[in-house]
Amino acid sequence: MFTLSHIPFLISIVLYLVASVWSIGHIVKPDIFNKKVARWSTIMGFLIHSGYLVFLGINSNSIPITNVYESFVSLLWCVLFVFINIDYLYKLPSLDTFLMPLVAVLSIWALTFDKSDMLITVSLQKFWLVAHIIPIFIGYAAFTISFSLSVMYLTQQRQLKLKLFGRLFSKLPSLEGIDKLIWKTISFGFPLLTLGLVFGTFWVKTQNILGEMWYLDSKVILGLATWLIYAALLHMRLVASFHGTKIALLTIAGFCFVLFTFIGTFFIGSKHAFQKVSNTTPHIEIMGANKQHYSQ
Amino acid sequence: MSILVVGLNHKSAPVEIREKLAFNNNSVSSALSLFTQKYPSSEAVILSTCNRVEMYASSASDAVKLEDILSFLAEFHKIGENEFSQYMYHYKDDRAVTHLFHVSSSIDSMVIGESQILSQVKEAYTLACVEESTGKILNQLFQQALNLSKTIHTNTSIGQGKVSISSVAVEFAEKIFQDFTGKMVLVVGAGEMCELLLKHLYEEGARTIIVANRTFERAQAIADAFQGQAIKYELLGEYLSKADIIITSTSAPHYVIHTDQVKEAIKHRRGNPIFLIDIAVPRDIEPGVGNIDNVYLYNIDDLQTVVNQNIDDRTREIEKCREIIEKEVEHFMARLEQIKIEPAITLLRNNFHSIGKDELNRLRPKLKNINDEDWNQVVYTMERTLNKLLHHPAKVAKQEARNGGGYRYVETIKKLFGIFHYHPEDSNK
Repeated sequence: MFTLSHIPFLISIVLYLVASVWSIGHIVKPDIFNKKVARWSTIMGFLIHSGYLVFLGINSNSIPITNVYESFVSLLWCVLFVFINIDYLYKLPSLDTFLMPLVAVLSIWALTFDKSDMLITVSLQKFWLVAHIIPIFIGYAAFTISFSLSVMYLTQQRQLKLKLFGRLFSKLPSLEGIDKLIWKTISFGFPLLTLGLVFGTFWVKTQNILGEMWYLDSKVILGLATWLIYAALLHMRLVASFHGTKIALLTIAGFCFVLFTFIGTFFIGSKHAFQKVSNTTPHIEIMGANKQHYSQ
Repeated sequence: MSILVVGLNHKSAPVEIREKLAFNNNSVSSALSLFTQKYPSSEAVILSTCNRVEMYASSASDAVKLEDILSFLAEFHKIGENEFSQYMYHYKDDRAVTHLFHVSSSIDSMVIGESQILSQVKEAYTLACVEESTGKILNQLFQQALNLSKTIHTNTSIGQGKVSISSVAVEFAEKIFQDFTGKMVLVVGAGEMCELLLKHLYEEGARTIIVANRTFERAQAIADAFQGQAIKYELLGEYLSKADIIITSTSAPHYVIHTDQVKEAIKHRRGNPIFLIDIAVPRDIEPGVGNIDNVYLYNIDDLQTVVNQNIDDRTREIEKCREIIEKEVEHFMARLEQIKIEPAITLLRNNFHSIGKDELNRLRPKLKNINDEDWNQVVYTMERTLNKLLHHPAKVAKQEARNGGGYRYVETIKKLFGIFHYHPEDSNK
C-alpha cells in the first residue's frame, strides 16, 4: 500500500497522465484539449517530482538512489529535466505527445519497485559513485528523448509514405527537424554515458565493489553493449553521414538496451552494488538510512 | 440613416463586366472625392479587387439611393447603366452589414478562407479614410468588419489547410525538410504548374535550382527567372542523387524517371530523403519509386485529393462563421441605433444648457454683491443639476435604442422637449 510519503509522486504521475492525455488530445481535438494544459501539467508535475526527490534525499541523507525505486524516480526526473530544456531550446512541436505517455507509464512502473528489497550496498557519499551515476542518468535521459523522437520520426514517415494527411501529419514537425534533434540528443548523451562508464570502471577496479569478476556482471556487459550501439550510431552519422529510418530504428534499439540495462538486469539476477536485505551479510556496509527506509 | 452596398462579384458577373467597373487606387480616390462632392452628407468606401467591385455608402434619411450609385458608377466609368445593372446586387442596412462581414471574413470569396481579402478590405477602408469619405457609420462598420475577420480566422478553421496544388506540394516538402536553404531543387520539364511550384519554393528559400528540359532554351528561361542553372536533358540521371526535391511536368508519353535510377540515387544519399512531385499527365515517374525507403513520391491526384479535402473542411466551417457573423451583425445594428440617437441626445443636452445659461444671465444682474467665487459655485451647481437631470434619460434612451427603433426615441425626445430643428446628418461626420 502507498503511504503518505508517496503522495507527491502520485500527484506527479497524475499530472504526467493529464499531460499525456492533453498532448494526444490536442492532436485529435485541438478545440477541446488545450496545449497549455499539457505544458503546465508537465511543469507542475516536474516541480512536485523535484520536491519529492529533495524529500527522499533528506530522508536518506544522500542522493536519492539508495534503492531501485529511488533510482527510477531520479532517472525519470532527469528525463523531464532534459525534456523541459530541449523543449525550451528547440520548441519542436508535439514532442510531449510522444514523450509524456512514456514518462507516465515508466512512473507507474517505478512505483512497483517501491517494495523491492534491493538496497544499495555502498556509501553514496563517495565521489566515484556520484561521478558514475549522474552522467549516466543524464545520458539515459537524453537517450529516452531520442527514443521518443525516433518514434515520432517513424510515425511521420509512415504518414508521408501512406499519404495520411490528417491532423497528426499537420501537427508533427519535418523529418529533417526530428532527425537533427535525434542526432543532438544522442551526441549530448553519448559523452555523458562514456564518462559515467569510465568513472564506474575506475571505481569498481579501485574499490573492488563487484568482486574480481566484475566484468561478468550482466549490468556491466549490457552497459557496454548500450555504449557500443550508440557508438555505432555516432559512427554511422559522423563517418558515413547516415540519416533517416536506419538511425531512428537503431535509436529505438539503443533505448531498449538502456531500459534493459537500467532495470531489466535486476530480473536476471544482476545485483550491481544492490543487495537483497535478507541476504545481507554483516561485512557488507548498508547505510543506516537504507535500513530505516526498509523498516518503513 | 442607412447603409447601402451595391456591387458585383465573380458569382454575379463575368470578367468582361467586372473589368469595366474595376477601379485602381487612383481612380478609387477620385471616385470617392467626386461622390462626396455630389452627396456631401454621405459616406462612401469602394472595394475593388479582381473578383469584386463594391461601393458602400451611408447617408442620412436615405439621401443616397441605389439608382444614385448606379448612375454614379455609369457616369464615372463612362459606360451605359444598362450594360452592367443586371449583374449588380444591392443590400441595405443589416443585409449590407452581413454582406461586408461575409466578404471580409472571406466566406464570400472565390477561394473560401483566403486571407488576401482582409488586406484588400483594409486597403479600401484606408483609402476612403485618406479621402475623408468615411464618417461615424462606415468607420465603425469597417473597423468591426476587420476585427471580426481576424476573430473568425482565429476561432474557426476557415483559413486552415492549403487549397492550391502548389501550396500543398510545398507544405509536403516542409514536412520532409526543415528549410529549403541549401536544398537542391531539380525541375524536369517546363510546364506552367512547374513554374508556379518553383515560385513557391523560391519564396520559401530554395536557391539551388536546376532545370532540365528537352528544349534547352526553355529550361534556360525558367532557370534565369529563379537564378538557377539549366542543364541538358541527357544529364538528368547525374543530378538525381544530388537533388533533394524533384519536380516533373514533361509531356513525355512514358516514364522519364525509373525505379532503378532512384534506387541507385538513394544509395548515394545515405538516408537523406528525396521528395518527388510528379505533376505530369501521363505520369513522368514510375510509381514503384514511391516504395523505396526515404523516397516520397506524390502525383497530381495525391495533391488534388488534399486540396479537395481542405476545401471541404473550409466549406464545413462556413456555417460556424455565419453564426458568429449573425451575432456581430446584431451587435452592430444595436450600436447603429445608439449612434442614431446620439445627435438627439447632444441636441437635448445643448438645449438644456442653453436654457440654464439664459437663466443664469437673467440672475446675474440681480445678485450685485456676489463675489466671483460664489458666482462660480452657482454656475457649477446649475451645470451639475442639468447633467444629473439628463444622465438617466440619456442612458435609458441609449439602452432602449440598442433594442431597435432608435428613431422612435429620437422622435419622442424631440416631441417631449420641443426640439424641431434636429437633422441627423448634422452630426453624421
